[in-house]
Amino acid sequence: MLLSSVVFFPALCALLLSLWPVQKLLKSFALFLSLIEFGISLFILSQFDVSTASLQMVEKYPWIERFGINYFLGIDGLSIWLVMLTTFLMPIVILGSWNSIEKKWKGFLACLFVLQTAMIGTFLAIDAIFFYFFWELSLVPMYFIIGIWGGQRRIYATVKFFIYTMLGSVLMLVAMIYMMFLTEQAFGTMSASLLDFYRLNIPFVGGQFFSLQTLLFFAFSLAFAIKVPMFPFHTWLPDAHVEAPTPGSVILAGVMLKMGTYGFLRWVIPLFPEATEYWAWLFIFVAVLGIVYGALVAMVQTDIKKLVAYSSVSHMGYVILGLFSMNSFGFTGGLYQMLNHGVSTGALFLLVGMIYERTHSREISKYGGLANVLPFYSIGFFIVTLSSIAVPLTNGFVGEFLILLGSYASNPVFTYVAVLGVVLGAVYMLWMFKRVFFGPESVLIKEHPLHDLSVREYFVLVPLVVLIFWMGVFPKQFLGFSKTSIDHLVAHRSDYILMVQGQEGKQP
Amino acid sequence: MNVTIGLADLIRVSPMIALFISSLIPLTVKVLKKNHEPSPQATLIQGLGGIIAAAVLLLTVYFVLSTGPDSTAFADSIIFDGVTLLSGLIALVAAAFSLMLMYDNPSTRGNQFAELTFLTMSSVLGMLVLSSAMDLVVMFIGLETMSLSLYLMIAMSHEERLSKEAAFKYFVLGGFASAVLLYGLSFIFGSAGTTHLSEIIQKTPELITSSRLFLFGMTLTMLGFCFKVSIFPFQAWTPDVYQGAPTPHSALMATAVKVVSFAAFLRIILSQSFVVSENLFDIFQWLAVLTMIVGNVAAILQNNFKRMLAYSSVAHSGYLLVGLITTGITGEVSFAASGVLFYLLGYSIMTLGAFALVSLLEKSENDSISIESLGGLSKRKPLMAFCLTLFLLSLAGIPPTVGFFGKFYLFSAAISQGLIWLALWGVLNSVISAYYYLRPIVVMYMHEGEEQERPMEASFPTQTVVIISAILVVILGVFSGPLFSVIEGVLS
Repeated sequence: MLLSSVVFFPALCALLLSLWPVQKLLKSFALFLSLIEFGISLFILSQFDVSTASLQMVEKYPWIERFGINYFLGIDGLSIWLVMLTTFLMPIVILGSWNSIEKKWKGFLACLFVLQTAMIGTFLAIDAIFFYFFWELSLVPMYFIIGIWGGQRRIYATVKFFIYTMLGSVLMLVAMIYMMFLTEQAFGTMSASLLDFYRLNIPFVGGQFFSLQTLLFFAFSLAFAIKVPMFPFHTWLPDAHVEAPTPGSVILAGVMLKMGTYGFLRWVIPLFPEATEYWAWLFIFVAVLGIVYGALVAMVQTDIKKLVAYSSVSHMGYVILGLFSMNSFGFTGGLYQMLNHGVSTGALFLLVGMIYERTHSREISKYGGLANVLPFYSIGFFIVTLSSIAVPLTNGFVGEFLILLGSYASNPVFTYVAVLGVVLGAVYMLWMFKRVFFGPESVLIKEHPLHDLSVREYFVLVPLVVLIFWMGVFPKQFLGFSKTSIDHLVAHRSDYILMVQGQEGKQP
Repeated sequence: MNVTIGLADLIRVSPMIALFISSLIPLTVKVLKKNHEPSPQATLIQGLGGIIAAAVLLLTVYFVLSTGPDSTAFADSIIFDGVTLLSGLIALVAAAFSLMLMYDNPSTRGNQFAELTFLTMSSVLGMLVLSSAMDLVVMFIGLETMSLSLYLMIAMSHEERLSKEAAFKYFVLGGFASAVLLYGLSFIFGSAGTTHLSEIIQKTPELITSSRLFLFGMTLTMLGFCFKVSIFPFQAWTPDVYQGAPTPHSALMATAVKVVSFAAFLRIILSQSFVVSENLFDIFQWLAVLTMIVGNVAAILQNNFKRMLAYSSVAHSGYLLVGLITTGITGEVSFAASGVLFYLLGYSIMTLGAFALVSLLEKSENDSISIESLGGLSKRKPLMAFCLTLFLLSLAGIPPTVGFFGKFYLFSAAISQGLIWLALWGVLNSVISAYYYLRPIVVMYMHEGEEQERPMEASFPTQTVVIISAILVVILGVFSGPLFSVIEGVLS
């Protein structure tokens, strides 16, 4: 029941909020509900057994028996922190959007909570069709969030986001259906369960693109690569980010992009080990390209939000680099970098949103000298900037260091180029920081009566800043939860099997 | 041939008899009232009552009488099997909903509602005959009964210009298609020596290779049906007719007519011609792909909402043809056929819902609903806007709606038979379709300051149709598994 409640409680909240009669307490009520949801996830964390790589707290009921499709939820070391990230960001997002959303609060909160259900469902579903169900469902609320509450070119951005992502995922659907028929051939009964997919032996012919495992591998990879987004499928991201309202950007960057990298970790790498091995160079190459390209493009942006959006392309490149290094350091670093990116980029978008609320401008050139006017805001921004450029003692350092360590072990040459990205990251972030916060006070700042962080904004930023240092100084407290699962993946990558806790002995 | 008609035969066709008798009631009442229009509420209730009676009788006949192989009537020319039951029920529900729309719609309500009710019900009678026919001549009679009533209904609209054009176009082209169909049937009769479908099916594998005439006849017959279900290149009439006809009639044509035509098409396809004739198989695969592409691409360019729905219905015919082809190569009523019927059910519900919303928005008989005129609907009628969003997302195939699961079953069947490339075309086309299905949503929710004054009348029956359809779209989606198993059980 625990996992069902963490998945479907937000959907219930959405229903409750859309029927909520009083306009006045709406936001507080929503905040309260999102804190309850965070409480549920904390309880799951406290019940989590770190000693096993098996799926825990499993709930499995038949859904469409004819096809062996189940309502199948389970959690393990790979998904637990992503669920935590989602539930942790939600109250912060609601608090952060307190003043930035001006209209249709009810609809906005309902979208946000449905989105949360879809995202957590994606991380916890262990059945292919059930997973796809959440995966596609997540498009709809985000489509509305960008389209209704977004900026000038919101409609172009949101339709592009929707169509682009859907294009990737339909091929995955065909691949999933095909694999369901493969399970029927292999085991006699059709099954959409991921655990049965893992047991399949899909024939692989190296060097032949039109062979079964390679095609399935690319069908899945395309869906996830678009979501991540990997170069060259990233073009929807800057549009979506720039047009999305602040909370939309935070969720998009903070959690939704991780659905793609999680997909690689949970689906692609264990399901198609030979194809992954064979094509890893391509993904590493594209990841490194994305790291450098994202950083270079971020450097020339004139809009702060667009700069952060392109920095996402660069940061997500690291995650892919880590995952496709396929060793313990790489996987751990990749997973950790997903969380780091969620925290630090989420924080950056919130900070950009805060200043936008005050001045209604995101043009870097219109700023200058903010540090004198808004000292505490500047300190917060600086800490997050440090986290984003991976300075030691912040979370970003741990993630990037582990990734580079892992990737050096498997691909030294690519690592040299990837390290360049670290330097470039420092360049664009610090240069932007210098132009916005130092120098003489600009006209824009003089025109607007600026006030430093309000109490609400402290509540938004302090948890994030605490987490940045906490994750930077004590990474083991976080990674301990995922270690067993990652070790299991590394050790059994070519014959990966996942069991349900309590049923390890039984032959399925 | 010595045909004796027993009581058993009459009991089996009791749904049709009930439909026929109750269709006469509104007319009789009108005559007795000296040609004064009776109260429309009473007429609506009589019509719905007749349809419900027919549905109940259909279920009774199926579940009580049809145990065993002896479920045919009139010397095997009419059959009451799973296909009849399911397509018949979908058609009856669609007809009931359309009747409720006609009661409200400005171009159909008023002083000819009794006649319209009669025509609708006799059209449905034709549909039941068509979906249960096991004889080519009976099939043709059913088809013509259905179509002739429809031609009249469209021409009777209060709307001045477009509907007359639509009726005329539909009549001429429909007549042409009937001629093609009949021409094909005559060749089949000539070469096979029988009009009885089960005998033809037995002879097909042998005849289709040995007799050119038979292949010719089979192809023409199938092309006749392609016209009815608007498969490319016979789709050109669809947008004009759907746009010009009064919205309730468009709803009826897009759902009930299509469902029974596909059911009859299914019976022809089961003759396994695809297994024997490679050429026919290839041609129909390409027709399916082209239908999807043409329907979806043309729908993107539309600005009139009804016209867009018409092209979308063409595209959906393409998806359904993929299911039919899959059924054709399995050669038995099975998984693939269940997929087709489930899709028809889901498609009918969401299409009816969408047309009901168009009908709700129409103020006068000459009104045309462009996509822009949906602007601000989310503010004026949040519930209706939400329902329309559900229908459109379902048509685009986004979970958790019935549209997604319909496509899932349809394409699963195709993949199971190795038709992966058709499934790929299908899913890629649903991505294209998402583009135009999203447009009305964009207009309803995301455009500001373009609110148009379109005060809606509180039309109870139409809103009921919308809300029931919206609920069904979600419920049938989430609980599609049991329903699909039921359909599969009924069919096998």
